[in-house]
Amino acid sequence: MRWLSNRVAFLGVLALVVATVMSLISPYFLSLNNLLGMTQFGAVIALVGMGQSLVILGGGGGFDLSIGSVLSMAAVTIGLLAKAGVNVWLAALLGVIAAGLMGAINGLLVTRIGIPPFIGTLGTMYTWAAIPLIITKGIPLSGFPEAFGFLGQGSILGIPAQVVLFTIPLFILLQYAMTRTVFGRSVYLVGVNSEAAQLAGINVKRVRLSLYIISGVLAGFGAVIMSSWLLSARPDVGNGYEFQALTVAVLGGFNIFGGEGTLPGVMMSALIVTMIASGLQLANVNTIWQLAALGFILLGAVIINQAISARNQKRFGIKV
Amino acid sequence: MLRNIPRPGRRELLAFVLLVVEIIFFSFMTDNFATLNNAWNILRNATDLAIISIGMTLVIISGGMDISAGAALGLVALVVGRGLEAGLPTPVLVLIALGMGALLGTINGLIITYGRIADIIATLGTNNILRAAIFALLGGRWITGLPGTFNGLVLGKIWGIPVPVFLILAAYAIFLYITTFRRFGQSIYAVGNNSEAAKLAGINFRLTKIGAYAVMGLLTGVAALVYLGRMGSVEITVGLDIGLRSVAAVVIGGTAITGGRGSLVGTLIGVLFIDVMKNGLVMLGVPSIWDRALVGLLIVLSVTADRYFEVQTARARLKGRAASRHHGPQTPSVAAEGR
Repeated sequence: MRWLSNRVAFLGVLALVVATVMSLISPYFLSLNNLLGMTQFGAVIALVGMGQSLVILGGGGGFDLSIGSVLSMAAVTIGLLAKAGVNVWLAALLGVIAAGLMGAINGLLVTRIGIPPFIGTLGTMYTWAAIPLIITKGIPLSGFPEAFGFLGQGSILGIPAQVVLFTIPLFILLQYAMTRTVFGRSVYLVGVNSEAAQLAGINVKRVRLSLYIISGVLAGFGAVIMSSWLLSARPDVGNGYEFQALTVAVLGGFNIFGGEGTLPGVMMSALIVTMIASGLQLANVNTIWQLAALGFILLGAVIINQAISARNQKRFGIKV
Repeated sequence: MLRNIPRPGRRELLAFVLLVVEIIFFSFMTDNFATLNNAWNILRNATDLAIISIGMTLVIISGGMDISAGAALGLVALVVGRGLEAGLPTPVLVLIALGMGALLGTINGLIITYGRIADIIATLGTNNILRAAIFALLGGRWITGLPGTFNGLVLGKIWGIPVPVFLILAAYAIFLYITTFRRFGQSIYAVGNNSEAAKLAGINFRLTKIGAYAVMGLLTGVAALVYLGRMGSVEITVGLDIGLRSVAAVVIGGTAITGGRGSLVGTLIGVLFIDVMKNGLVMLGVPSIWDRALVGLLIVLSVTADRYFEVQTARARLKGRAASRHHGPQTPSVAAEGR
């Protein structure tokens, strides 16, 4: 069991296993084209996965079910603004800000009013999912200028633009914030023991609130990428992302009770989830089975996490 | 142990007042709302939600949450629908529905208790798996034109009163009895209130929790039969919204989302509130997609209201304690951090 504890190494091995299996199923899997195309899908999953992970990391049952709906809402915001004649880049920025505000609403519901996160974000999940459909009557908003498509369709040095421009910089930024700043360390402390954090002078509520805002903003970037990629704002574009985000976070080693997990783990697990989705697609397996596969991965990953904490508890006599 | 009988309290009364206000509102706003026919219509459409919400109430009181209820209903309805097509005898179909429902619920309970996984995560996982199974078994084709074997559950009348009324009343009566007077029902409250204390009091935590999910599953099976009787077809979207709606019904009815407190009386009021709203909005000509947004909003509002009352009560209690100059060693914290 010990090797399971080094999460990133474990995920690396798992990624190799998945890659091997997938290349046996389909000879195209390991082609450069497929590998690069895959990262195109994985970019948004990694972003929302990081958002979900950070919210979970903050503890207190933190949890964001509304990520996918926020993504849809932000996409439709961008689409409406662009349609109203606002410069598309400005519209994209405003979409990200709107997503941040929606994250703030979640955060305020949880920290100020004291609603349990899963139920608060379940409510906002359905509210934000319905409003884009109401506004657009279910019809995608098109009419973005071609140049906007670069973010989601273009590539830089052969690597998809969304990976180079969004996923990797944001990952580096967040990883820096989590490991090298006071804020990052206080997030871990809040997640491990919120009372100790409070006594240490950390504003627990504000830390958690900012995590929800970060989650919203990341979903907003996801919306920019998706709108650019599809060159239209689909009102249901975010459907299912909350679940992928959760799976990625849990597989990445984030204990659902908070305080545990690292962002490199999230990137690795986003890679694994993307490989499985892409491999199944190449093998002509119906996309719906990806949903089932995610379900099994999620349950398996949580069971592994629980086994690790149980082992640590026994070994070190600490409750993790 | 049997002394902890949940009496309909302030919170249920509030829900009831809201329901009455809602009914008066729609009666004034539309012409066809306040008719006996429409009332029966609302009840007919509410039957599956009412039944599944009993299970949801038990699960939530036990400190849990079942996201997969809608998908489970869908899968059971699908399998029974296939059985109907194959011409299986009715008793066999009923057994399949109940057995399969209970099995799916028990699996959830087992994963949660033995896998030590948070309820919402476990049921999110099984929800996806069940949805995939529905999709795979339907294969993009709807099941339509089913024989009306179960139509009687919804469309039938006894003494001029629709069968759903009896069905709902009987189900609520049975489970109100169980939650109030039976050991199992009381254990559910105890486990949801404080699982550690419940364990120390000799209550089998795992068994109680699994039991709550098994009952949830069983009732999902019943609701699936009602669904078939009501719709006569199974589509890919089967049961997509009923899970959320039942969560909404439960919290509108005043059951604490954190477990340990709540009642079926409140849930029934919540169910009626939601289905009256759906019906009334259709009569007002509001697009049905609004219904979803409002249900989401209602969940947030109800839980917010609950928190408000909780804090108020706790404050009043603290004040009373200070006034009577009783200095206990520690005052209970108003908002215990969930961890």
